[in-house]
Amino acid sequence: MQSSPVGRVALGIAVVVAAVVLLIVLKDDDGGDKASGGATTTAEQAGSGPNDKTTQPSEPSIPTVVVKDGQPVGGVEELTFEAGEQIRFEVRSDTEDEVHVHGYDIEKEIGPGRTARFDFPASIEGVFEAELHESGEQIAELRIEP
Amino acid sequence: MTWLPYAHALPTPQDLPIPEWLFAWGASVVLIVSFFALAVAWREPRFEEERWRPFGVGLSRVLLGLPGQIVCGLLGVFLLGLTVYAGLRGTEAADRNFAITFVFVTVWLGFPVLSALLGNVFKPFNPWRAVGRAVGGLFTALAGQRPAHLAYPRALGRWPAAVGLLAVVWLEVVYGPGSGVAVGLSPETTAVAALIYSGYTLAMMALFGVEEWCERGEIFSVYFGMFAQLGVFGARDGRLGRRRPFSAATRWATVPGSAAVVIASIASTSFDGGQEGAFQGAVESVFEWLLDAGLGRLAALRLSDTIFMLLCFAGVWLVYLIGVRGMASVGEAPSLKRLRSGFAHTLIPIALAYLVAHYFSLFVFQEQAQFTYLLSDPLGTSSTDLFGTASGGIDYTVLRANAIWYVQVGTLVVGHVIGLTLAHDRATAYWGDYREASRSQYWMLAVMVAFTCFGLYLLSVANS
Repeated sequence: MQSSPVGRVALGIAVVVAAVVLLIVLKDDDGGDKASGGATTTAEQAGSGPNDKTTQPSEPSIPTVVVKDGQPVGGVEELTFEAGEQIRFEVRSDTEDEVHVHGYDIEKEIGPGRTARFDFPASIEGVFEAELHESGEQIAELRIEP
Repeated sequence: MTWLPYAHALPTPQDLPIPEWLFAWGASVVLIVSFFALAVAWREPRFEEERWRPFGVGLSRVLLGLPGQIVCGLLGVFLLGLTVYAGLRGTEAADRNFAITFVFVTVWLGFPVLSALLGNVFKPFNPWRAVGRAVGGLFTALAGQRPAHLAYPRALGRWPAAVGLLAVVWLEVVYGPGSGVAVGLSPETTAVAALIYSGYTLAMMALFGVEEWCERGEIFSVYFGMFAQLGVFGARDGRLGRRRPFSAATRWATVPGSAAVVIASIASTSFDGGQEGAFQGAVESVFEWLLDAGLGRLAALRLSDTIFMLLCFAGVWLVYLIGVRGMASVGEAPSLKRLRSGFAHTLIPIALAYLVAHYFSLFVFQEQAQFTYLLSDPLGTSSTDLFGTASGGIDYTVLRANAIWYVQVGTLVVGHVIGLTLAHDRATAYWGDYREASRSQYWMLAVMVAFTCFGLYLLSVANS
């Protein structure tokens, strides 16, 4: 153990440096990853924006998912909520179907002229899919953070 | 902008990514612990000897005796039959059908942990082994001689199991998703796959012998058996007994292809964890490139996922080989070949930690379904209520996000420590000189840190 203290210290420094570099690189990667998925980033901001500020006092703008020909317009929207608050969003569609929120197991019918309004407490943490029942197409992703 | 469907058969919620502060803490703890490990290093190998201590004869007779074996074997065959029947005749809704949850959650994720804790518990329940032994016994009784078998090619070793392991995961997470539809593997496909695998396994058992094939080629036996090497309980010469923890693992990798099995396990878990987070962008690029090249949506999806799964396998293998090469450069090192198989077992705890970290919440959620409605109504057709639990459901509030995060980071750190411990122990056995042994372990330390930090990284960007 007392063999080569210099070598050991050098190794220690190398490991610490490597760790720091690793942390920085990985953090950058994390950010880069989010940026590369352009659509989801904007969707996340669009989703978390209103609910951060506006849902508590009143509800002027609720995030809306628009479905056209069974496909979500602008890709799968990411809606972020905090555990304990109300989850509110709307789904509009030009075709008849049913929206199913996994985990919470809530289903609502949609169709032309029939907007589905979701309003339920965020009691379960995690990442949940909202999908169309008939086609199985995912239309939104709910993230409930602690 | 195309979007890839999630490759999951079951609609369970995904874990939230671990927060950055926890990632930073996890990585720091890993480094500090590793450093500490270098400082307290011991000089003599401690886990190479089993110190086998058998239990009483009575207990072994009850648990390993013929009546017990027959009961367990029948139960295994019955459950395999139920899986196939439910898959073929039951609902196509994956989450309502017994087949998918039983095979890919209860068995595939349950037995690794159970085996590490209690020993090779899959062995008596293995339906193919039970059938193989029954047929073999019948043959011996009728023909008056034991069935003759081909000699199993030694060099093939555990390779069939390693390839099979990748195939099982491939079936679940790559083959599963339909085109543009977030529906995973269907129960029917699961049943057909189980039938094909049964035919293949029984044929191989007929060729090479039941126990020989279970030891080397049968995917489930080899895979679960690998984790059983970590634990303290085992059976030898018909007697149950206790040994030093991890000691059995030191001999496990002497069969060729063993390293491939443990690497396949780490790689497939990495792929599944990474496809929705870390690699998602890259997978999407390849997917779109394949679409442009003229492939159909489903084919492009499967091919791009397959490519990344194999890349994971190659990547994990490469990191391990770099570690082995590094060790070979230290002092009077054993041959590369000996090092390569000699340190493979040190990755078993890492593989187990990866499994627990990635599937812990899925297992806790889905087992609630397994023991309520899937048990009472295995077909999912609402026609039976065998145990009165058909109306049960999954309570997703049993696990808070925080609890999941701590379990994930905690298991990765513990797996890392055990991996380091085993590697150091092996080095003290391989290098006569203690200082050289220590120096060789800088390499394995780097390998372990790489795997653990990569595991943490996968968790921190999961589906972000």
